[in-house]
Amino acid sequence: MKTKATPAIKLDTLSDVNDLGKPWRYTEDGLTVTRSSVWSPPGCHPVGCGLKLFVDDNGRLVRVEGDENHPVTQGRLCPRCIALKDYVYNPSRIVFPMKRDPEFRGQDDKWERITWDEALDIIEERYKTLTGKYGRETMVIFTGTGREGGTMAPFATMSFATPNFCYTQSGYACYTPRLAACAYITGIPYPELDYAAGLPGRYDDPEYEVPEVVMLWGKEPLPSNPDGFFGHSVIDLMRRGTRIISVDPRVNWLSTRADYHLRLRPGTDTALALAMLDVIIKEEIYDKDFVDYWTYGFEALAERAAEMPVEKAAEITGVPAEDIINAARMYATAKPAGILWGLAIDQKTNGMQNGQAVVALMAITGNIDRPGGQVVGDINSGLNEGGFGFDEGIGPELAQKMIGIKEYPGYCNLILNSQADMTLGAMETDEPYPLRMGMYTGNNLLACTSAEPRRWRDAILRSLEFCIAFDCFMTPSAQATCDLFLPLATVAEREGTLFAEYGAAPLYFGAMNKAIEPGEARSDLELAFTLGKRLNPHLWEEYDTVRDFINHLRLGRQFDFEDLRKEVTLQQDISYFKYESGTLRRDGGLGFNTPSGRIELYSSAYRTFNEDPLPYYEEPHFSPVSTPELFEEYPFVLTTGARTYAFFHSEHRQIPYLRELNPDPFVEINPKVAQRLGIADGQWCEVFNHIGSAKLKAKVTVTVDENTLHAQHGWWFPETNPNDLDENGPYQTFRSNINNLVPNFHVGKIGFGAPFKSMIANIRPLEESYDTDMSVVWDKFGKLV
Amino acid sequence: MTAYGLLIDYEYCTGCQSCEITCKEEHDYPVGKWGIRVLDDGPWEIEPKRFNWNKIPVPTDLCDLCTDRTSTGREPMCVHHCLANVITYGKVEDLAKKLPEKGKQVLFVPQFKPYEAKGPFVHDPSKGLRKAAHLEVQENTAAERMAAHRGDARVEEY
Ligand code: SF4
Ligand code: SF4
Ligand code: SF4
Repeated sequence: MKTKATPAIKLDTLSDVNDLGKPWRYTEDGLTVTRSSVWSPPGCHPVGCGLKLFVDDNGRLVRVEGDENHPVTQGRLCPRCIALKDYVYNPSRIVFPMKRDPEFRGQDDKWERITWDEALDIIEERYKTLTGKYGRETMVIFTGTGREGGTMAPFATMSFATPNFCYTQSGYACYTPRLAACAYITGIPYPELDYAAGLPGRYDDPEYEVPEVVMLWGKEPLPSNPDGFFGHSVIDLMRRGTRIISVDPRVNWLSTRADYHLRLRPGTDTALALAMLDVIIKEEIYDKDFVDYWTYGFEALAERAAEMPVEKAAEITGVPAEDIINAARMYATAKPAGILWGLAIDQKTNGMQNGQAVVALMAITGNIDRPGGQVVGDINSGLNEGGFGFDEGIGPELAQKMIGIKEYPGYCNLILNSQADMTLGAMETDEPYPLRMGMYTGNNLLACTSAEPRRWRDAILRSLEFCIAFDCFMTPSAQATCDLFLPLATVAEREGTLFAEYGAAPLYFGAMNKAIEPGEARSDLELAFTLGKRLNPHLWEEYDTVRDFINHLRLGRQFDFEDLRKEVTLQQDISYFKYESGTLRRDGGLGFNTPSGRIELYSSAYRTFNEDPLPYYEEPHFSPVSTPELFEEYPFVLTTGARTYAFFHSEHRQIPYLRELNPDPFVEINPKVAQRLGIADGQWCEVFNHIGSAKLKAKVTVTVDENTLHAQHGWWFPETNPNDLDENGPYQTFRSNINNLVPNFHVGKIGFGAPFKSMIANIRPLEESYDTDMSVVWDKFGKLV
Repeated sequence: MTAYGLLIDYEYCTGCQSCEITCKEEHDYPVGKWGIRVLDDGPWEIEPKRFNWNKIPVPTDLCDLCTDRTSTGREPMCVHHCLANVITYGKVEDLAKKLPEKGKQVLFVPQFKPYEAKGPFVHDPSKGLRKAAHLEVQENTAAERMAAHRGDARVEEY
């Protein structure tokens, strides 16, 4: 691994007066500048964009700029970090611990400021009492996505020593289904598009080849920087000649630049992938050598794919047969070609099969572990933290109590999480045992992650006797369900490390460097350490300081944070064709890290979980085909959650500059449908189905076809009433929460995948308006403190 | 006087709005005020399956080309942060030379506060010499008639 940062390549638009080559900390015009590779919070995926944080003599952050020394982002920033000051010094930020009597959950004026000592005393007392009575498994940790808190498994394994670490989205419908599919089939955690992130010469590096084609499958990387992938790398590649295939029901900026845009009916991706496999196999345009040497079960896959001829797929997906054929040919004949696969894969019950079929496409075209194809890690890559502290803190006996481990071993054992839907069930029924204590880390489930959010709220309220929030702002979830609030430090106020894309592929990693003092706020790493020392000190004996913990957990003791922070960002060495060199397998043998040593197109792992070893198409549980009668009442396919530049999920609604970009939650509706239903552009509407409803503002646009609605997710309104008073919940979050229409318990056989992007719904215009008054937002949050 | 401008390669402007936000941060423009706006033309269908969708950032009357920064030799903030790296700052004559290199480019030469740039109103005495029409009473009669005076000439001089 490299230990010295290579100089970044200067962008042509950057002036000759610049900060290239500056050290990690320097002074300029009386300001101290700290360079950092940032992750969270505010929420973001681990992209680790380079930042220069300018701090004045009073220790105040006065300026934020993109750091041109970053090998990948090269000074470029998205709106969210540009507005970082407005987050750090937002007048509504909570900067000290608070407590509230559980009797007053949902009432904002009942919070009381306390000291950290008191907060820790309360936690210790509650933990001892409740775990004494119900066992350590009574503690559940609700994790979210993206932020560091979402990945802080040591909260569970070592601080509270509970097996119930739970990402609270039905079917873990985010990232992990894809990752699981890939891991089970290839032994590789994540096949990222190779965008030369680890190569010193980047796109011009002699080792690299620019992909001829990039196929975007259910991913809109520009606004989302998904899973830590710097989205605008796709633009860098297009400038160098890369052509695009887009698989997406919606028109988006990239799809309008694509050679083929396959606008499938939401949720039918696996049918499309199988048909593309069939074309590529029948026309013999796959990589025969790679298939012969390195895959297992090709004939079985070919037979299965043959059951999905193009005409059949065209009928299911709505994509014209000739487009499927032409796109399949284009992808298979391009050398190299990469796939960027996205969240849409996970957000369907059929997600594990979708992932499986897309990995098969990458594999039979010989694009895995090839320059400009899919870049993959070797046996040593991946975050050190998978399972960190699990054996010591939880052990085999308690592990067997993890909720869902018997029903969904392929889920729980892989990600060491309690199964989300079953965790909800446990809170509703006390089966298999009562959950009585909880904590949120990087999660705002009532506004964002969870399906049927009112049901989650009611379950938490009935089940948990004590619940802790750890965040920068009061969230609807904390307001409705928590009894203790702990203040979380922002990325400018903390130190830590960052591995791009969670370290799942060899790209780059870096240091989050502290630029300003955090006051009473603490980072996730600090809180895990502090709680652990209190509650389970025997698990923390080897760490005297948080730095010791960082060096072990994050850096595997291969680096010292002290050294890393001076380098700010280090690229990871990339090597290719590792299956030919024996570095993908623990035993050093050739091939892939699977039982057969090959990519298992016919998956032995899936079979162990009583799942079909081959990919198959399953209709969404609610669709024009599977529920035709219901579809008459709810005659649109509903897809949700397209990303925006303004927000990270449910965050940033209180940052006026960002909110101004997208003041209200919108639902996209085709002009012809809007005309027919009497819906004007900008009119508020109710979107509803048999599960629930939400009020959103119509955006009349051809981005969706006449059969489809798309609704934004993650909404709450921090400028409105904080109390959990009426059916709209705290900060009106349930008024516009599209997850009201999404059910729990519609997951795949392995426990992964849920229909967040493939539901059905109807829409009707409303007379009333809920338009956000931006002057109220500005008055309330615009004056920094 | 050398004019400076922004050359924008809108083939790759993705509409990320980093330019808008960084301009507001740099100048402390409140909600409702902008130094640059990303105009959005589309998507609309050219023919089946082909859409027109262009995002075009347009500097507003509040764009000062980041004078504070550019005077120290640095590029404007929107140039620095643009995620697609599509904005180039420079002398108009240099930027203009790049226009023939590729399609979908636009060159802006912004004017900061154009109203103020005109300066306060000052009357120019060489202007406004044409007099307006007025009523005159004809000599030796009570009749009124319209008289048009052009320049300094009196009616009777015509
Ligand atoms: S993607 Fe945006 S929010 Fe995330 S680190 Fe980069 S600039 Fe910051
Ligand atoms: S040049 Fe400066 S003032 Fe003009 S739009 Fe860009 S950031 Fe704003
Ligand atoms: S920052 Fe660049 S890419 Fe983004 S909207 Fe502005 S000009 Fe376009």
